Order: sequence, then C-alpha cells, then structure tokens
Amino acid sequence: MAAPKIIVVGGGLAGLAAVIKIAEAGGTVDLFSIVPVKRSHSVCAQGGINAAKNLKGEGDTTAQHFDDTIYGGDFLANQTPVKGMCEAAPGIVDLLDRMGVPFNRTPEGLLDFRRFGGTLYHRTAFAGATTGQQLLYALDEQVRRYEAEGKVHKFEGWEFLSAVIDSRGIARGIVALDLRSMQLRSFAADAIILATGGIGAIFGKSTNSVVCTGSAQSAVFQQGVYYANGEFIQVHPTCIPGEDKLRLMSESARGEGGRVWVPRAPGDKRAVKAIPESERFYFLEEWYPKYGNLVPRDVATRAIHKVVYELGLGLDGQPMVYLDLTHIDRETLHHKLGGILEIYEKFVGVDPCVEPMKIFPGMHYTMGGLWVDFNQMTNIPGIFAAGECEYQYHGANRLGANSLVSCIFGGFHAGPNAIEYAKSVAAVEGDGGAATEVARQAEINGKLLKNEGGENPFKLWRELGKAMTEHATVIRHNNSLKQTDEKIVELLERYQRINLSDKSQWANTSFAFTRQLKNMLELSRTVVLGAMLRDESRGAHFKPEFPERDDERFLKTTKASFTGSLEGPRFEFEDVDVQYIKPRPRRYDAAK
Amino acid sequence: MATVQPSAVPQVQRGVEPLRANQGASFIWRKLHSLLGIVPIGAFLLEHLLSNFEALKGPIAYGVQVKFLNSLPLVRVLEWVFIFLPILYHGIYGVYIWLRGKSNIVYYPWAGNWMYLVQRYTGLIAFVYIGYHVATQRFMGADLPNHPAAAFWKVQHELANPWILAVYVVAMIAVCWHFAYGVWLFAAKWGITPGEIARRRFGYVCAAGGVLLAAMGLASIWAFVGPKYQNAPENVPLSILVAPVHAGATYHPNGFQCVARS
Amino acid sequence: MATKTVTFEIKRQASPDAPDVWERFELDWRPGMNVVSAMMEIAANPVTADGKPTTPVTYDSNCLEEICGSCAMRINGRASMACSALVDNLDQPIRVEPLTKFPLVRDLQVDRSVLFENLMRVKAWVPVDGTYDLGSGPRVYPQQQEANYPLSNCISCTCCMEVCPQFNVTTGFVGAATIAQVKLFNNHPTGKVFKEDRLRALAGDGGVQECGYAQNCVKACPKQIPLTNAISDISRDVMVQKVKDWLKS
Repeated sequence: MAAPKIIVVGGGLAGLAAVIKIAEAGGTVDLFSIVPVKRSHSVCAQGGINAAKNLKGEGDTTAQHFDDTIYGGDFLANQTPVKGMCEAAPGIVDLLDRMGVPFNRTPEGLLDFRRFGGTLYHRTAFAGATTGQQLLYALDEQVRRYEAEGKVHKFEGWEFLSAVIDSRGIARGIVALDLRSMQLRSFAADAIILATGGIGAIFGKSTNSVVCTGSAQSAVFQQGVYYANGEFIQVHPTCIPGEDKLRLMSESARGEGGRVWVPRAPGDKRAVKAIPESERFYFLEEWYPKYGNLVPRDVATRAIHKVVYELGLGLDGQPMVYLDLTHIDRETLHHKLGGILEIYEKFVGVDPCVEPMKIFPGMHYTMGGLWVDFNQMTNIPGIFAAGECEYQYHGANRLGANSLVSCIFGGFHAGPNAIEYAKSVAAVEGDGGAATEVARQAEINGKLLKNEGGENPFKLWRELGKAMTEHATVIRHNNSLKQTDEKIVELLERYQRINLSDKSQWANTSFAFTRQLKNMLELSRTVVLGAMLRDESRGAHFKPEFPERDDERFLKTTKASFTGSLEGPRFEFEDVDVQYIKPRPRRYDAAK
Repeated sequence: MATVQPSAVPQVQRGVEPLRANQGASFIWRKLHSLLGIVPIGAFLLEHLLSNFEALKGPIAYGVQVKFLNSLPLVRVLEWVFIFLPILYHGIYGVYIWLRGKSNIVYYPWAGNWMYLVQRYTGLIAFVYIGYHVATQRFMGADLPNHPAAAFWKVQHELANPWILAVYVVAMIAVCWHFAYGVWLFAAKWGITPGEIARRRFGYVCAAGGVLLAAMGLASIWAFVGPKYQNAPENVPLSILVAPVHAGATYHPNGFQCVARS
Repeated sequence: MATKTVTFEIKRQASPDAPDVWERFELDWRPGMNVVSAMMEIAANPVTADGKPTTPVTYDSNCLEEICGSCAMRINGRASMACSALVDNLDQPIRVEPLTKFPLVRDLQVDRSVLFENLMRVKAWVPVDGTYDLGSGPRVYPQQQEANYPLSNCISCTCCMEVCPQFNVTTGFVGAATIAQVKLFNNHPTGKVFKEDRLRALAGDGGVQECGYAQNCVKACPKQIPLTNAISDISRDVMVQKVKDWLKS
C-alpha cells in the first residue's frame, strides 16, 4: 500500500508539528497555508512554553501543571487530554531545545524558567520575549528539511475553502483557492488535519494576526463538524491599543515582576514619577495577595475592567492602566523581555524602561473550537483538528504559556492518529465528491463576483467587530447578546448585497476576504448564542446576571452544529471528563 | 483532481535565482580579485610610493632607485607576473563586479553605501590612469629600464603639462583611497575584523594610512613640479652611485645633487 | 475645524504584465496611524483623492507587529515594514511602492520565496534524530545563547536583500539573511554537523563572495541583526573551508 497521504491546513505550530510527525512516520504531506508558513500567527506568541521540568527546586510536577491547567480553565476541559499534554510537556520542551530553539539559559547552561499567570511555579521556558517565533522557526526548519527530502509539499498562498466529503460522510480531501491565480482546485487525501488557529478577526481588532479569521473552522462547521465551547474567548489583560490591531504585551512582563496599577485619585494629573507609592493602587496585588499580578488572564481582565469602568480610575479617564517595569534594571529587562519592549517603544514611542506602559485588555485567544475526540478527530471521519482551532485543552480559560504546548502536543497527536486512521479507512470511490465540491465553490465564487448592491465587505466586518467586542468579550448580558445575534443576522442579510469593487481574478485579496467574512459571520453566531445559552459565569465567560459557576447545569461542553436556518446553530451539551480532579471552587485571592 | 481555472492567468516573472550551492567557480575568481588587490598590487603600490618618495631627494637619488629596481633578478618576469597581469586582472574583474552591482545610493545614502560606490569610481580612475601611466612611462618615450638616468627628467616633462599634472593628482588620491578602503574591505570580507568595533577601529587605521600614502604621493609629485629640481637633465650620472651620499655633498644651483668625485 | 489628513501615493499594478500607475489617497489622520491601517482604510473606502473609484490595495501583511515579516515594502523610497511605519514619522505625501528586487505579483505584493529556497539550499536546520523523547538538548551557556538569539530573530522580511546593491538577477546573490542563518546553525552544538556542507554551499555561485560590503543590510534590518558581522565570520569560514578542501583533495 502506498504511504498515507495527509493534508495539513495551516502552518503554525500545530500544523507543522503534525507535518513533522507524519513525515517522520513515512507519510507524505501536502501542507496548505495562506501565508508562507514561517509567517504564521504562532510567531506572535511571546512569553514562553509551560513544562513542569522542576529545574528550580520548587517540587513542580506534571500533576501540578495538570491541576493548574484544569483549575485555571475552571474545570471545563476534558481531563484526559489535558493530563496527556501536561505529562508530555517536558519532553516537548526538550525536543524543541534539541531542535535549536535559543531558550534562555541558566549560568550552568540549563534551561531557564520563569513564572507565568495562574501558577506559583517557575514553569515557563522562554526565548527572550519571542518564544513563539523561535518555536515556529524550529519547526519550520524541520519541515524544510522534510521538504528537501520530498516528503512535504507546501502550498503556500493557497486558502482552504472546504473539505471534500463523500456520500458516506467521509472526508476525502479539500478544495483550495490559489490566492494568486484564483484557481480553484481539489486535492485528494486519506485524511486532513486542520490547524488553522484562532478567530480573532471576528472581533475586528484583536491581538491575532490578519489570517486568524476562523474561516476554515467555519467552513467545516458548515459542512457538519461540531463547534465546541465557542463562547469561551480569552481577553488578554495587557494589550497596546492600536489603529489596526491590539498589540499584545506579554504576560511575561508581569512574570518578570511587572506591576499593574492606577493612581488612587481619579483623573490624577500628575506625572507618573510624581505619584508616590502610597497613592498608587496596585489593585491586583491588593485583591489577590497570593497570586498578585499573576492571576489568570480572565481574572486580571475583569479586575482592569472594574477599575476602569466601575471605579472610574482609568488613566486620564481613558480605558487604560499602567503596567510598570521601571523598578527593574534595564539590563534584566533587555535580556528577558527585549522583544516586547521593542514593540512598545516602536509603536507607542515611549521607552517602557523609563515610563510605565499604558495597557488595556484585548481579545486574544479562542478557547473553543472544532469539536474533536481524544484522538483529535472531529465528528466527520477523516477531518482532524489541532491547535487553537480546536477546543480541547484550555477549558473556560487558558493559562499563559499553555497555548504553545497545546499546539505542539495537539499536532504531535493529530499527525500519527491521522496516519493510523488513513491506514484503515475504506478506499475512496470515484473522486470522492471532489468535482461536486469544486463546482459548489465555483458557484459561490461566481455569485460573489456577480453580486450587485451597495455593501462594502470591510465595512460590514467593522460593524461585526464592534458588536462582538462590545457585547461578547469581558462582560456579557443576555439582552445585548441577543441584539448582537440580531446584528449578525442583519449583516448576513446585507452580505448578500456586497458589491466587490475588485472583480478581477488575479491576487484579489478583497475577494478572498469577502469569502472569509461569510464564514466569520456564521461562526460568530456560535460565540454569541453559545454565550447566551450559558447562564453562569465560568472562566472567561462572565455574566453579571449569573455571577456564579453552575456545575449542576453547565459543567458541560457546548456543541454547536450548523443548521443553515435563520435561527442559527443548534446547540447540545456534553458531559465533561472530570475523572481525575474533582471540580472545586476557583479563586485566586488565596491558595487554591 | 477537479479544477476551475480562470482564463488568461498572468505569469509572475522569474526573480533572483536561488543560491547555486556548490556550483561554479566565481568564489575563486572573486577571492583572487580581492587577494591580488592586497598582494601583489597593494604591496607594489607601497613600493612604488616609497620609490617615488626618493624623488624628493633629487633626480640622482630617483634615478638610482629606478636603476636599483631594474637590476632585480628576473625583473621583466617579475614585472609581468606581479604587476601588469595582476593589475590587469584586478581592473578588468573589478569593472565586471561593478557592472553586476546596482548602486542605490539615491534611496540609501548611508556611509557604507557611499564607500561602496566610491570604491568603484576610484577603482575605475585608478585602472584607466594606470593604463595610461604604464603606457607612457614604461613603454613609450625614453626606455627607463635601460636608461634609468633619464627617469626624473621623463616624469618631469610629463608633469609639465598642467592637465596631466591634474590627472596625476586626482589619480594619486583615487589610488590611495581605493587601496586604503580596499585593505579595510579585505579585513572585513576575509573575516579578519568580524566585529563592529574592530571594523570601526581598523577604519581609522586605514584612513590614516590612506592619508599618509596620499600625502607621500602628492609630495613626490611636488618634487617633480616644485621649484627645487626644475629643468633636470635628461641624463644624470648614476655610475658610481653605489657609494652612499655623504654629508659633504653639495647642490648645483639647478637643483640636482652633485656627487663629489673621488 | 478641518480634520487633519494624510496623503498617500501608492504605486498600483494590476498584474505582472500590466502597466503601473500611481494613485493618490487622502485619509483622515488618526493617532498612532501606520501604513497598514491606511491600507485598511482604503479597502473600506476605495476611492482616490480625485474621487475616482478604485480597488483595495493588494499587499502582504499578517501579524502587524513586526514579527512575521510579511509587510515589507518601499515607503518613501526605503524598504520598511508597513506595520511599524508610523505615519507621524513619515514625510508626506507618503509614497508606497512594492519591493523592487522581487517579482511583482500585484500592487505591493511580491514573491519572496527565493529566501526560503536559499534556506533550504544551505540546510538551515538542526538535524535531530527524531521527535521522540531523547532527553535534554545539549548544554548551551548563556553567553552562547546571547550570541545566537539575535541571529534567530530574523523575520525573513527580505529588507536586507532589497537594499543590497549586489542582490539582483545578474549576481543571484544569496543575501545577508541566509548567510546569518548559516552562522546561527553552524554555531549550534548539533547544527554544526552540517557546517562544512553549508560553507561549501555558500562558496557556490551567488554565494558569500558576491557581498560588496556596502553594509546597507545591517542598516535596513528592522530587527538589528548583526548581519555584517555574520558575513565577515562566514566569509572567513568559507575561505578556510575551501583551503582545507583544496589541501585535502
């Protein structure tokens, strides 16, 4: 039998991890990515990667990492895969080290670790403040090696449009669009792995990259894959607001001792340096003495919201607070945080070693995603998912520095499982439905190009982002969620009247974007309606009307399935695997 | 596989070719060019400038120096192997290098980029000048290898033309510039100065050396055109010049040194 | 009060064989505005300064925080990253053009895949035995890490290649980025097993010898990578390797 042929969509950490495992196992891979894989969004990860290596004599264990992750995720994550991930993490970090990631070192030449949110241990390995970039490059280099050996064929500049699913409901390949020639083409495979990242673009401005639209997830969701826990969206407490995006200011800034504060007096006009220590309100340290500035992100974000909107203590009345590093010496800062300080200085024009940074929360991470089983396979046989685009590892809130490990672990898991699956799957009959699917996509394209009307896709997108950010991020109310869903329905209706100003068939980026927009709109309903149904507060999902966690009703995975009807997706709930750690109240003002 | 292809797809042109790993011999030719600039060409330049400097002592000393150089064993072979051919190669290959690069000083007016450009112009000036210089001084007119006594006179005649004098002055500066920056480049490109600070320091050294060489060169030119040795004779006596010039030597009013006959 | 505006002139070209045209745009100024946000604004309202309807500009971008390397273009003549090019720091009209050394796709989008091809040709990777658990990696002292980390920050933006007078179709020069990566991998305790292969590769046509040491690369690099140092070091290593090979042949 010929070597299994697997298609991997997405060239971030999860996708590349899967590619490496497949190539290593003797499979061949077609790797699809909108951007050259080295430019994938994983490069933006800054702070580090968690692994309980216990190199600081603190008695850290993988069990402790497991507990922190489950607890940080407010018990919503299925425990079996999370346990596997935490146990594999030290090995993954060792592997990355062997691949040449320039991790920061101790004087003895061992890996250095720093603290991150939601844990009391030094568990985060890091390469300056550009860990994601360094990790992605390490995997990219390994993939290039397999590419040189002919085991991997890259399709960079191709966008995944849909899966090819045969009459028996088995995935047989994909349909992709060449973003240059606008050619539509089907590619056959024994299994496909989606590793297409987060959905930040749905929120307009976020810390995510431009390609993080969730379009691929939405496409397979519309083909029948469940979308799970869509309502869980992480809002990162410390971002630099910008015109085009929200730039992340890594949690590692707090991990290295950064302190968050505002002046105690509302609208204090004094220069930062003139405000004495006693008149500074270190609210995280006061409210959460045990974890201080390193509470999990949902907690920090809500605290900042409270300080700004309830207590009216935002800087100059603006929605901003200080993130202060000025008490740490420049040398240490440069050594451990160089990359992010440079970002701040470049985009804001102020040296954060001298003056505290002004930051505010921003949409950052998608905890929810494509529903997968413990083998990373979705409910459509042959479609696997790994990385941020699936829902498995972070429950209701992701801990800092767990994303990189979950992406790589997920990819390492999905790759071999896809090969196993591919070996046993029944042979395809005919073209497996490829021609039909290509024709369906061609029809969508043709319709879009012929559309008449007055709507501009980028304006619709802005409206979507504004509504989502206002009503479906930090604080959620059922009535405004309902309005938001109505807004999305309105946008879907207006989408029919989009008139593309560019109807050409060559490197037409607005055409590609408009196709993504449709998928964004469809997917955003799972976020909004999922949030509406979940009448409790858990992790990143906070409803003032229902401020408590309700395990009785909602210790459940939300599963949305596409209906195509105006009412939106159909929702069902699935029990969470809690066989290892019994759910207990989650609080960070005292030891857990 | 099923495809839907829009008609008449434009083609992206071919761009810069990727590295031809392990292929071709350009490495050797390029490095040879670089090395020849230092030895023998740079070494010869130093020798030539030092020899010229003898002109400051007058026509006889200069003639003696010329005679000495022409008395080296296998001098004609040395001349071709270590001077003419290397310069010819360095010059022609240098022009070839120039034609392959595309200066962008308009958009990136940075110091290194200026030097890159100036190195090409000074090189060209040097090459053209050297061609002229060798033709006129070595192969035309008085045959100096056989009549070293006419050396000073021949150069003086040449420099009497103010245009030619100007060419010599410009060329002298260009050659010294080209050599000094060439030494700096050599150190940088052969990994002798891989550090930023080392390169800066060595830059000062090269600049000082270049200025010194140019000053020496210009001083030598001055020896031919200045008032001191005006109207040097076509034939100075060199026969007994193996004897050192002693303290009792006197000077002819014409300006050239008279050696006391014993 | 009249709103402050920003003027852009953007070089447009619908396809590789189409003629190029300059289009002028007037946009409302916003604090912190960068070149990318201006492109986004144009996409939402694709009308030129003379009121002529046009198309959204095609350009590469992704992270918008100068770490993915996508959005390199010429801004006021200089190769820059569009995301970190703040409007307030630029002279107006802001003239935006595609990079000139790479084949044009459309508008500001060019094909820079040659860099990735070059990285493949110099084996820019650490040849690990496998992805199974083989224990910790080799010890690396902080001093070594500090030397290597800057090289590892290369975002493949190709600015160093764009500004290099020697990088063009005639020379087929490999460019500074790849040379710096060779240094990075030759420094790595495991990566150095391919050291000789990499050095020999770089002695091929288009190799390190084509460098003219104009030093534009190091000036243009948005990540301040010590590219000229790397070129010096690698040139020496290539030379030593060639001499060794010659003596041993």
